[in-house]
Amino acid sequence: MKKTGNRQWAMGKRRESKVWSSVTRHFLLVSVLLVACYFSLVTVSYAKVYIDITSPAIRKLPISITAKGPSEAKEIEGIIMNDLEFTGLFLFVAPEAPGAEMTVQLGTDTSNDIKVLLSVFDLIENRETFKKQYSGTKDILRAIAHSISNDIYEIVTGKDGAFRTKISYLMQTSQGNKELRLMDWDGHTPIRVIPIGLTSSHAWSDNGRFLIYSSERNRDWKIYRFDLEDFRETLLFSAKGLNLAGNTSPGGEMTFSSSRDGNSEIYVMNINGTNLRKLTTSFGIDVSPVFSPDGSSIAFVSDRGGSPQIYIMDSSGRGAGRLTFEGSYNTSPAWSPDGKWLAYVGQRGGKNQIFMIKSDGTGLRQLTISGNNESPSFSPDGMFLAFDSDRDGGRGIYIMRVNGEDQRRISPKTVKAMSPKWSPFLK
Amino acid sequence: MKKILAVFLLVFVIGCAKRLPPPAETKMPKEPARETVEPAKKIEKEAVKETVRPKEAKLQEEELALKGEVPAALKEVLNDIFFDYDKYSIRDDARPGLDSIASYLKKDTAAGIIVEGHCDERGTNEYNLALGEKRAKAAKEYLTSRGVAPSRLTVVTYGEEKPVCTEQNEACWQKNRRAHFAVK
Repeated sequence: MKKTGNRQWAMGKRRESKVWSSVTRHFLLVSVLLVACYFSLVTVSYAKVYIDITSPAIRKLPISITAKGPSEAKEIEGIIMNDLEFTGLFLFVAPEAPGAEMTVQLGTDTSNDIKVLLSVFDLIENRETFKKQYSGTKDILRAIAHSISNDIYEIVTGKDGAFRTKISYLMQTSQGNKELRLMDWDGHTPIRVIPIGLTSSHAWSDNGRFLIYSSERNRDWKIYRFDLEDFRETLLFSAKGLNLAGNTSPGGEMTFSSSRDGNSEIYVMNINGTNLRKLTTSFGIDVSPVFSPDGSSIAFVSDRGGSPQIYIMDSSGRGAGRLTFEGSYNTSPAWSPDGKWLAYVGQRGGKNQIFMIKSDGTGLRQLTISGNNESPSFSPDGMFLAFDSDRDGGRGIYIMRVNGEDQRRISPKTVKAMSPKWSPFLK
Repeated sequence: MKKILAVFLLVFVIGCAKRLPPPAETKMPKEPARETVEPAKKIEKEAVKETVRPKEAKLQEEELALKGEVPAALKEVLNDIFFDYDKYSIRDDARPGLDSIASYLKKDTAAGIIVEGHCDERGTNEYNLALGEKRAKAAKEYLTSRGVAPSRLTVVTYGEEKPVCTEQNEACWQKNRRAHFAVK
């Protein structure tokens, strides 16, 4: 099955080298969403899954990496090792030391742009299982390295890696506004998307092409959509009061909250702004609506019971039931990609912490303990969570594995960054 | 190496690059920067200092009003009112301040007011935006119940986004849980 997948992928389309010039010309945009590189697939001959990530007890795979070539080779090796290490699935063994069950060789040539030849050897079966060449311009070195990480991860686990995904987030400006930005999942290559206004809630469209977000400009909170392919902003929803974007469904709808009728309620409409439907009518605050990954349910925050709590209803607005009962302040729901879990922010002892709970209300677990931690967002493979925290002083973006391990800051300490939203898989 | 190169000749190549439009900024909608629409805030800050009103100010005031500037008597009554944590009901200690605003607005029927709702940093941004709106609306409702026409009062929420105090203690949080009034 793996083989077929890769072969189809390799045989998809032939493109001539004329795209090179456009690639160079638009490297800025390329680095926003696309990895403009060529793959030459040479060998794929692995059938087994080395690590079953669905298994409860995971044995780390002992692996060694060797990089040959100019200084860029070391840089690429470093990026790949950081990617793989964060999964918690690999045990790195020095190339000359015994014990490795897999070796990864990277041959880097920078005489003309960058070419990296990846060879993966299975040392138990003593054969080369994968060989592929990656090439692209030097400004996308990091993207090339992340592509290699994705392939290694896929060889080992049989799953798509999230190393080429992006995280959108907000950055506080010196004027006290917040601008919408993007960066790689590891915090590198930050790019400013919306510099004007005070931007708040934001989300990726399912296909990764659009960002939807709410921005306050001239005292009006409106919902906008930004097209990352043609860098164009479209106004999606405007009404008197507070209008806050939720997220999108696979069926092309989006959730949002609006106080246009006086009270903040949950609404759904098509992502092009048509077919508006109001789903709630309660006296209290209803806010932060998010579609489940299959679009069948909506989680949201309501203070209808006297304190802010998370509720789940079906996508037509019926059958709302309270999900969270522990603690008197639970907000910011985010669904795991398989729809089984929700991550959210709960207040404990006066501090905000990240929790996870199953969508049936069982399995509650706390993932953070130090500082104030907010805005959880799952990676598209469901392995990681991004969130923001003030544990080291100024608020910044952090990532961790979904079991709470390996919490690390990915945004620089020199900026105030918050509200991360992990992208879907990007092509 | 030779062998590898030979194999390369046989492989299939994918370009994952797309046709790409011109880069950022060029198509950004041109909107005025926020700062340009916020003279009211500046004015209000000055009002805090200027608590004693000079007797001879009356005439001067009318001149100012003609020039579109804010009369001192209005500045004087535009003081923040405060709220309890996660609440948007008008506290008893906020009523006298609101009453002064209402009685000014009933005399000066040309003036319009922006009511901003704010929250402390605890809690999450989106919920706090909704809470801030509730606070601003509660203040607006109080003023309309005292006879001010609703059309003269514009509500906006800033949630926890515009704190006046940034320390992490109750004294500071209380300062931030406020409705702030500015001149339209």
